[in-house]
Amino acid sequence: MDNIAGSKAGLSWAVHISVALLVFLWLFPTVGLFVSSFRTADQIATSGWWKAMFPSEQNQTIRAASPETQIEQNGMFVIEGNLFENGSGAEISVWGISSRAIDAFTPGETAELRRGGTITVQADGAYRMENAEAFEGTRGQRVFVTAKTPPEFTLGNYDTVLGKDVARNMIIYAIAAAVFFFVLRFLFRGHDSTLAGIIPGAGAVILLILLALVFGLSSGAVEGAQTTDDMAGAFFSTLTVTIPATIIPIVIAAFAAYALAWMDFPGRALLIAAVVALLVVPLQLALIPLLKLHLGVGIGKGYLGIWLAHTGFGLPLAIYLLRNYMVGLPRDIIECAKVDGATDFQIFVRIILPLSFPALASFAIFQFLWTWNDLLVAKVFLIDATGETTVMTNAIVELLGTRGGNWEILATAAFVSIAVPLVVFFAMQKYLVRGLLAGSVK
Amino acid sequence: MMNRFLTTAVAFAATAGVAAAGSHIELKFPVGEGPFNWDSYNEWAGAAPDLSGQQVTVSGPWLQPEDDYFRDVLDYFIAATGADVTYAGSDSFEQNIVIDAEAGSAPNIAVFPQPGLAADMASRGLLSPLPDGMGDWVAANYGAGDSWVDLGTYADETGTDQLYGFFYNVNVKSLVWYSPENFEDAGYDVPETMEELRDLTETIVAEGEVPWCIGLGSGAATGWPATDWVEDIMLRTQPPEIYDGWTTNEVAFNDPRVIAAIEEFGWFARDDAKVAGGAGAVAATDFRDSPKGLFSSPPQCYMHRQASFVPAFFPEDVEFGVDADFFYFPAYQSKDLGSPVLGGGTLMAITDPSEAASALMEFFQLPVAHEIMMAQTGFLTPHKGVNLDAYLNDTLRKQGEILINATTFRFDGSDLMPGGVGAGTFWTGMVDYTGGKDATAVADQIQASWDALK
Repeated sequence: MDNIAGSKAGLSWAVHISVALLVFLWLFPTVGLFVSSFRTADQIATSGWWKAMFPSEQNQTIRAASPETQIEQNGMFVIEGNLFENGSGAEISVWGISSRAIDAFTPGETAELRRGGTITVQADGAYRMENAEAFEGTRGQRVFVTAKTPPEFTLGNYDTVLGKDVARNMIIYAIAAAVFFFVLRFLFRGHDSTLAGIIPGAGAVILLILLALVFGLSSGAVEGAQTTDDMAGAFFSTLTVTIPATIIPIVIAAFAAYALAWMDFPGRALLIAAVVALLVVPLQLALIPLLKLHLGVGIGKGYLGIWLAHTGFGLPLAIYLLRNYMVGLPRDIIECAKVDGATDFQIFVRIILPLSFPALASFAIFQFLWTWNDLLVAKVFLIDATGETTVMTNAIVELLGTRGGNWEILATAAFVSIAVPLVVFFAMQKYLVRGLLAGSVK
Repeated sequence: MMNRFLTTAVAFAATAGVAAAGSHIELKFPVGEGPFNWDSYNEWAGAAPDLSGQQVTVSGPWLQPEDDYFRDVLDYFIAATGADVTYAGSDSFEQNIVIDAEAGSAPNIAVFPQPGLAADMASRGLLSPLPDGMGDWVAANYGAGDSWVDLGTYADETGTDQLYGFFYNVNVKSLVWYSPENFEDAGYDVPETMEELRDLTETIVAEGEVPWCIGLGSGAATGWPATDWVEDIMLRTQPPEIYDGWTTNEVAFNDPRVIAAIEEFGWFARDDAKVAGGAGAVAATDFRDSPKGLFSSPPQCYMHRQASFVPAFFPEDVEFGVDADFFYFPAYQSKDLGSPVLGGGTLMAITDPSEAASALMEFFQLPVAHEIMMAQTGFLTPHKGVNLDAYLNDTLRKQGEILINATTFRFDGSDLMPGGVGAGTFWTGMVDYTGGKDATAVADQIQASWDALK
C-alpha cells in the first residue's frame, strides 16, 4: 500500500526543495526589509543588511572633541576623550589623520598634526591631543579609523513612523501580556471549563489595553517627524475606508451572482459577458469621469465617494468569482427547496450564502488587501486639497520626504502597514485557497 | 514715541486678527524679532482684508519636512487675515493636479515644480491669471526680474499671453560640492575657471584618485542629473541666445554645438578613471546616494556637481563650511560668456480663483514670506528686498548672492522643453549616452522624438 500513486520518495523531495526555494525567495527580501527597518540611513547607504548582523570591519571618519574643550596641563594644551560612545566595543586596527592615508598608524602610535601638535589614538578609541600652543578652530580634528564594530540597531525609524517610543512600549507591553498569559494558564491548568480556556487570552488582552491606557504609548513627538496622532488618524481613516469598501461590494455581488447563476431571465448570458468584459477595463480610465460625476451630484471628495469608487472597481471581479462558485453548487438542493415552496430570497439566504462562505471570504481578503494598500483611488476620490483626510499609504509616502530616498523609513513603514493585512490574512487564509479553487476546479 | 505707538498698534491689530479668527496661532518667529522685514509685514497686516471664514487650499510637491516650514509661512497670513489656509503635499502632484483640475476639484493655489506643466494647463484654460500688477512687481523686485516674468507667462486657451506663474523657492544648479578638508589633505585648490577644473580633474586621476561622483538614478526620472550637466555646459560654451533657441528647438537637438556639449559631459562621465565606480555605475547610482561618496573613508570622489538642494542627502553629521562646501561650476576663461547660472524653481499659480487666494498671492510678495522659509531650510529666493541675514547659514547666503548677482540666469532647459522630450527622451537619451552610445546617434534620436511631437 506504500506506493499507491507512483514513487512517493522522489516526488516528495522535489516538492520539499521547491517549497524551500519559494519560502527562501519570499523571506530573503522580507527579512532584508525587516533588518533595514532597524538601521539608520547612513548604515543602509554604506553596507548591505546581510552584513548588519555580524561585527564588521568598517572605515569611519570620526571627529575628536572641538578645541573649546582643551585644558592646560603642565604648560601643554591637551584634548582628551574617546572616539567611540561608551561601551560600543569597537576595536581600532589602523588609523590616520589624512583622507589620503587612512591606515598610516597603528593603535598607540603618535601622529604629527598638520597645524601643530600631536595625537595618539589607542585601540579602544581613547585619544590624547597635545600641543605647546592652544588648538584653534571650531571643529575637532578628523580621525580616520578602521575598526571592527559590533552590530548596532536602532528603534529610531519606528519612532519616526509611529511616534517616540511607541515601538519600544508596545514590545514591553506585549512581553508583559505574554508573561501574564502563561501565568494565568498555569493557574487555571486544572480546570477544564470553557471559562478556564478563555481567561488567559482575555486576561492578556485586557492587561495589554490597561497598560497602554495607563502608561500611554508615546512619550512625545520626534523632532521634525509627524506626531503619533497623524499616523493613528491615518490608521483609523484607512479602516473607515477599507471596511465598508469590502462589505458593500460583497453584499451587492452576492445578490448579483445568485441572480446570474440561478434565476432565469432574458439577456442573462449577455449580462455575464458584460461583467467579464468589464474585468479587462483598467480603472484609471474612469478616474476623471467618475470624479466629475461625484462632484456633479454633490458627493464631492470624501468617504462616501471612495466607498462607491472601490465598490464599482471591485464589483466585476466579485460578481464573476461568486457567480462561478454558485453555479457549481448542486442543483438538487436548490430544486428541492423550490419544490418545498421556498422563494428565491429564502434560497439565497438559507442555502446559497452559507454554502458560498469560502468564496465570500476569499473575495473579502482580496478586496480588503487591495483597498488597504490602495493609494491611487484614495488620492483621487478621498484626499482633497485641505489635507484633512488621509490614508496610511499616503501618510507613509509623505514620510518619504520631498525627494524620496528615505529607504529606512520606507522599510519601517512597510512593516507597520502590513501588520493589519497579516492578521486578516492569517485569520482567513484557510478559506482563501478553498475559495480560489472553487471557481476553477469542479 | 508716536512711531513706537503706531508699531504697537499695528502689531496689536495683527494679534486681534488672530483672536477674531477664533484660533490661537503660534508664529514660528515672534513678530518684531530676528533678521526679518517686519515693517512691511506689519504695514500689510494693518491693511489686510478680513477674510475670516474663507478657506484657501494650496497643493504642491513639498513633503516632509518642507511642508511644515511652508505652513509656518502661511501662519503669518492666517494671523493677519483670519482666513483658513491649508497646504497639502503630494508625491505625485503632477498627476493629481491634472485629475483634480479636469474634474473641477482643484485647490485654490497650486505649486508647480516646473513651468512645462503650468504652461500646458494654462493653454487648456485650467489656470487663472495672477492679480493685476504682479508682473510689474516681479520685474522690479526679482533679480533678473524680466526673465522670471517670461517664465511665468503662458498662452491661455485663446492664445493670448498672460502672467500665471509666480516663482517661489528657487534652486541654483551650477554648484560643485566638495569637502574642504579632503582638498586640504590632498593639496588641491578650488578651481576658478573651467580650464582649472579640467586640470584638477586630470591631476586627481594622475594621482590615482577618483575626481567625480555622478549618479543619474532617480526611479522613473532616471537621467535628469545628466541633463543639468549638459545644460550647464551649453551655457558655458555657447551664448545664452543659442541656449534659448535650443530649449525651443530653433537650434536643433542634433546641432553640432549641442552634440559638443553632450560630448563634453562625456569627457567627465564616460571615463572609468574619472567617476566613482567607473562609467558603468553612473546610470545605476541613485542621485540621492551619489553625494555620500564625498564623505566616505577613504573618499570615493572629490567633487559632485548638483543643485542647491543636495545637502538634504548628505550624511547626518555633515556640517556646512567645515565638512562640506561648494564652489560655482566655473565658466571658461577663454570664452567671454560671463558667469552664467543655471537654476530651477517652483511656481505658484491660481487654479481656483477667490478673493482670499488673490490676497495670499499678494502676501507672497512680502519679504517676510521668503525670509521665514530662508531661516528654516535650504530655500533660495531671487527677491531683492529680503534681508540676506535671514538665510539659515553662510552656504545658503553665498548661493543667494550667486542668484541675485547672476549676469545670465537661465532656467533648467529640460523643464522648458515639451514633456515628451524634457522629461522623456532627453532623460533616457542621456542614460543611453553614459551607457556608451554615440553622442550624435543620441542627439538624432532626441531630435526625432521632438519632431514627432510637433
